[in-house]
Amino acid sequence: MSLHYGGPQIAIGVVFALLALVFATAFLVIAVQAGSDVGFERVHDVGYWLRRRWLALLVVVGVVVVGISLFDLPYASGGAGRTVVKVTGGQFFWSLQPAQVSAGTRVRFDVTSVDVNHGFGLYDPHGHLIGSVQAMPGYHNKLDLTLSEAGVYWIRCFEYCGLNHSTMESSFKVTRG
Amino acid sequence: MASVTAPAPSALHPRAAAFTEGARSVERRIGLLFAATGTVLILLMGVLGLIMRLTQANVIDVSPAWFYRLLTLHGMGMITGALIAAMGALWYVLHESVPLRVGHMLASYALTVVGAVCVLVATLVGGFGAGWTFLPPLSFYPAGQWPVWSESLFFVGMLLVGGGFFVYCIDVLRQTTNTFGGLTGALGWRFLAEHEAQPPPASVIAATVIAFDGLLAMSAGMTIGLGLLGRTYDSGVGFDLLVSKNLVYFFGHTIANLLIYLVAGAVYVLLPRYAGRPYEVTKVFVAGWGVALVLIVTVYSHHLYMDFVQPRWAQIVSEISSYASALPVAVVTVYSMTMLVWGSRYRWTLASTLLYLGLMGWAIGGTGAVIDSIIPFNFRLHNTVWVVAHFHTYLMLTVVVWLLAFIAHLLERDAGRTSSRLARTWTVMLLLVGGFGLTGTWFVEGVLGVPRRYAIQPPGTAGYSLVGSIFGILFALGVLACVAQLVSLGRAAWAGRHYVVAERVDSWTGTHYGARVERDTFERPAVETAPWRPWDVPLAGPVQIWFGAAACVVALASFFPQIVSASESSVRYHHLDHAGHFFLGVVAGLTIASLPAVSRRLGDRSSLGLAGVMLAPSAMMLVMVPRFYEPLEHHSFEHALYHLAMAGFGLVTGLAASRLGRVGGRLSAFLSVGMVLLFAAAMKGG
Ligand code: HEM
Ligand SMILES: [Cu+2]
Repeated sequence: MSLHYGGPQIAIGVVFALLALVFATAFLVIAVQAGSDVGFERVHDVGYWLRRRWLALLVVVGVVVVGISLFDLPYASGGAGRTVVKVTGGQFFWSLQPAQVSAGTRVRFDVTSVDVNHGFGLYDPHGHLIGSVQAMPGYHNKLDLTLSEAGVYWIRCFEYCGLNHSTMESSFKVTRG
Repeated sequence: MASVTAPAPSALHPRAAAFTEGARSVERRIGLLFAATGTVLILLMGVLGLIMRLTQANVIDVSPAWFYRLLTLHGMGMITGALIAAMGALWYVLHESVPLRVGHMLASYALTVVGAVCVLVATLVGGFGAGWTFLPPLSFYPAGQWPVWSESLFFVGMLLVGGGFFVYCIDVLRQTTNTFGGLTGALGWRFLAEHEAQPPPASVIAATVIAFDGLLAMSAGMTIGLGLLGRTYDSGVGFDLLVSKNLVYFFGHTIANLLIYLVAGAVYVLLPRYAGRPYEVTKVFVAGWGVALVLIVTVYSHHLYMDFVQPRWAQIVSEISSYASALPVAVVTVYSMTMLVWGSRYRWTLASTLLYLGLMGWAIGGTGAVIDSIIPFNFRLHNTVWVVAHFHTYLMLTVVVWLLAFIAHLLERDAGRTSSRLARTWTVMLLLVGGFGLTGTWFVEGVLGVPRRYAIQPPGTAGYSLVGSIFGILFALGVLACVAQLVSLGRAAWAGRHYVVAERVDSWTGTHYGARVERDTFERPAVETAPWRPWDVPLAGPVQIWFGAAACVVALASFFPQIVSASESSVRYHHLDHAGHFFLGVVAGLTIASLPAVSRRLGDRSSLGLAGVMLAPSAMMLVMVPRFYEPLEHHSFEHALYHLAMAGFGLVTGLAASRLGRVGGRLSAFLSVGMVLLFAAAMKGG
């Protein structure tokens, strides 16, 4: 199945590109100014004044972003009323039980492995990456999702697991109704 | 009569003469040896990088088996190469104010280089391909690709590299704390608390933090490395994979992260020489590095965000730490460097251009890292090539660029000139376009959801790899162009190695004139090494010694028959009991050797001490495998001896640690016990 750019990822990428552009511009301006002759006293005064604001900005952004992120953690909690799908990784296969649910079901993926660490990466029927969770032998990572769209969801391995890591694929069907 | 001064090398800023020390020949030699070795390794590994990218582009045909061997080698080789060079760069500037020992540095070099050779053989000849982060238990599930000996050799190599850095860190920490009034002095905290008027130099504060955290990370790495090495000759050894993963990433993430801090420590000294303004150590600077001391340790666990079984608090601590760790970089280090540059009539040379370029790589690569460290984003980016993108941005465009700048600085000073403007412009363009182009393709593919470490890329994505390969080749050309200029500068430096043009003033007429003078005339005197004092031991004074003795008595409990037999119930408890014996030995060793009379008799045996604190705990962990202890279970005398041996290993460790001074001794004793405890935590039954 071919991949397509997912919405949240595009947003992340655009924000990053803009920030990178801002930094690149700043460095260009500073490089141009490097040749001029400004007393260090003056650089001090303006530089430290600006630095306090720069720190304040970063702290505010950090508190807001980290704060909001804590409300969107992927970690499962509770669990009543969910259909459990047992996901087991192994060199080099996936086993899902059941391998099919109906659209709109609240699913709990219970992910583990029988040999080495694998990663359960799930793509929606359009080829957008939904996210990934690790498959570790001896542990069960639980991921809750509501799969509202019918179609074939693709699975790829997201943790290097040996020779056939890049072809360790599988699929999961969500039926209409 | 004529008075003689060596003028500032014409490659530096005219104002730099006021605060720039002449380099001693030992500094130049060590600096060059380390940096050149590292660069050669980086060049070789770069070829492997291109081969991998071209494979993903379907341009060349490398089998997955070989792809993963090359991936493992590229990762470990690059990290090792950059580490060697970075250690040399920091040593070069640190030696100006701290009496570091050449012997320890060469030991560090030997260990690291031999380690690199082991990794080379294990991957290329043995076929080992579990990745440079060797996430357990992958090395033991080779899918028919590599034999057991290659696993052993890889782990030996990794332990030697870690050991090399351990030696380096111990010497740095010992000497900075000795020279600047203990740990709080060397970290600048005494200055912060206004107990001292003068702070230590910036590079000293950075080096102390790096050495401290480096020791913690190397201890974790050696613990899991030894456990895995044990598993290669006794398949009865079992691991708790979650604990193991924590140890692996505490080691792997931290060492990769420290690379940039190591070079930054050197850049604090180098960049000002082209800006003509000394780096100011302010209270904000000290506080920034104080924060970094903690955060460098706590950030690693963002590698476990997608292990939902990792305790929730650890995930949140890691998210906050990861964001916060960017603050000292953004607000102190990178920011203050740009302040030095602004309006300074910055002297653009090969070295100084690369120094400046590296700041930008750090800002942009760091931004990519911070984005990935926000958990909901990480859910969508974890183990995609976004990760590869951000770390290559700061490894290629900061660490490698700064290492080249370091060599350029060494050679420019000696050659008294830099390379041509045209050559510099081309180099910078190639590095910038090639570097950001290559990482740009990875960023875009990360957004697309392409997983990392894929020998065969998902359908329809080979085009990105092709574009990436082309940019990668441009970057490689930039590095080669740079190396060509370094060779030419090196020639000029070599030709003038015995003489410098010095400024003479005729005392009769007062006229200035240049004259060729032997270089040795200007050899800066070495920083005096403080004489060894018998009372420079971990436990100072009777109170601490009595305390040590009391701790021994408490630890004796681990030998109570009831406790010993109760601990046999699980491997973990059994190892914990061993840790108790070991602790007893360590404290006994520290206490005995801290007695003034004993300490005087033992003398200054720091090399032996260093060997002891590394080898004794290692040996203990290597014999803690079922193969050795199971046959003893039914022979009570041998079994008792085995338990006693654990205390023996501890005793050797404690005695050895006592030779490493107050800070070095305490920390290495603490770490050895910590290693044994972590070992108990990471191991399960067979
Ligand atoms: C021309 C320059 C370089 C090229 C073309 C290159 C290429 C690559 C490629 C293709 C990968 C595998 C990515 C994947 O997971 O799909 C990789 C991984 C890696 N590279 Fe580079 N690289 C270059 C420079 C560097 C440098 C300078 C460093 C460090 C100083 C470095 C360190 C690493 C590390 C640590 C990995 C991760 C290995 C792993 O996943 O186990 N690379 N590189
Ligand atoms: Cu897998």
